[in-house]
Parts: sequence; C-alpha cells; structure tokens
Amino acid sequence: MNYNILTYSIYLPIIAVIMVKVGWMFYTHGEIFLMHLYKNDDTIVKPINNLLLIGYYLTNLGYAIITLAFWEQVNNLPQMLNTLSEHLGIIIIGLAVLHYNNVLCLNYLVKSKHSKK
Amino acid sequence: MENSKIIIGYLVYLPIVIILTIYVSKMLFKNGKYFMLDIFKGQEDIALATNKLFEIGFYLINIGWALLILKISYHSASEMSSQTLIEILSKKIGGFSIYLGVMLFINLFFFFRGRRKSKQSLKKVTKTPVYDVRDEQ
Repeated sequence: MNYNILTYSIYLPIIAVIMVKVGWMFYTHGEIFLMHLYKNDDTIVKPINNLLLIGYYLTNLGYAIITLAFWEQVNNLPQMLNTLSEHLGIIIIGLAVLHYNNVLCLNYLVKSKHSKK
Repeated sequence: MENSKIIIGYLVYLPIVIILTIYVSKMLFKNGKYFMLDIFKGQEDIALATNKLFEIGFYLINIGWALLILKISYHSASEMSSQTLIEILSKKIGGFSIYLGVMLFINLFFFFRGRRKSKQSLKKVTKTPVYDVRDEQ
C-alpha cells in the first residue's frame, strides 16, 4: 500500500459525495426554472431534468476519475495532503464556475421568455 | 503469472462499463419516450418503435466502443504495480464515462431538435386552412 493508492482511496469518496450532493441540489431546484420555461408542462420537464442529471453525473464523475491517471508521485504525508487539496480545489472551483454559468443562462432564458410576452 | 494484473483490469473494466451502458440507455429511453410521443403527436405505436430502434443503436455503438478501447498495453521489464493498474483503469473508465455523457447530450439534442421541428410543422398545418377560408371569403 503506497501513498498514491491511499490518496486515491481518500479522494474518490470525497469527490463522489460532493458531486452527487451538488447534482441532486441542482436537480431539485432547477426543476422550478424548467417549469417556468416550459409553461408547467409536467410530462416534458421531468424527462429533461432526469436526462440532464444523468449527463451531469457521467461527465463530471468521468472527469474526476480520469484525473487519477495524471496524478503526480506521492511520497510522504504532507505531500499527500498538498496534492489532495489541490485536486479537490480545482474540481470544486470548476463546479462553482459551471454552476454560476448555469444560473446566468437560466436567468437569461427566463427573462427573455418574460419579455416576449 | 506475468499478465495477471492485466486480466484483473479487464475483469474490473468490463462489468462496470457494460452495467453503466445498460443503465444509461435504460434511463435515456425511458425518458425519451415522452419526447417521441411529442414528436409523433401521440401516435403511440410508431413512437415506441422508433424509441426501441434508437435504444438498440445506442447499445450497439456504446458497447462496441467499450470493447474497442478494452486493450491494456503495458511494456516494461518489471511487473505491473497495482498503482499503475488503478491509473490505467481510471483513464479508461473515466474516459468512457465522459464519452457516454457526451453521447447522452447528443441524443438529448436530437430529441429537442425533433420536437422543435414537429412543432413547426404542426403550426404550418394549422395555419393553412385559416388562410384558405379567408381567400374564399
């Protein structure tokens, strides 16, 4: 058991929990926005929302897993903490940027919908 | 056994990939049914048949691709360490997962496009009789 494998086994659960939680929150709160956009058409909003959630999970978890392949060599405990925090930080900041981007897009769409009326 | 790590890799990789593909396409086409019903304006038999055909195509493409990228090539004098195995597997499974996500979004895009097109043609059909009546008056 070397330090790299230890790092991976700490990193993967943390990132999985964060991504699943964040995705679930987007799923539940984004539904209201989608309802606005599709005039409360329940039959089409639910499928769209489900598919968006699955796509989000696949691409994000895939990215989180693929970064393992390009991880630097870890030799001792301080180095392990450093790389762990660095990789987690990059992914969480990336999620935040994507999230703000999403909120802006949704806001724009809802506004343009209202101004058309 | 010099290749045992590679075989372990295959045994981990194949179930994950196949289960992932089956789950994703099941979910995609369970939800895609509603789009299809919208696109074919409620003609249930043709909508379900199209959905099934799309599903089969999705299975074929993705499982085919998963098998195509199966091969793990490792050239070194020393035996493969479990760290290397984990890294290779992460590259393959992560890459496949991103690929599957992109395929899902492409399919979703097709659904939206079909829905928009069918809405447009619906508008045209409903508009024409109105103009005809006015011309006659």
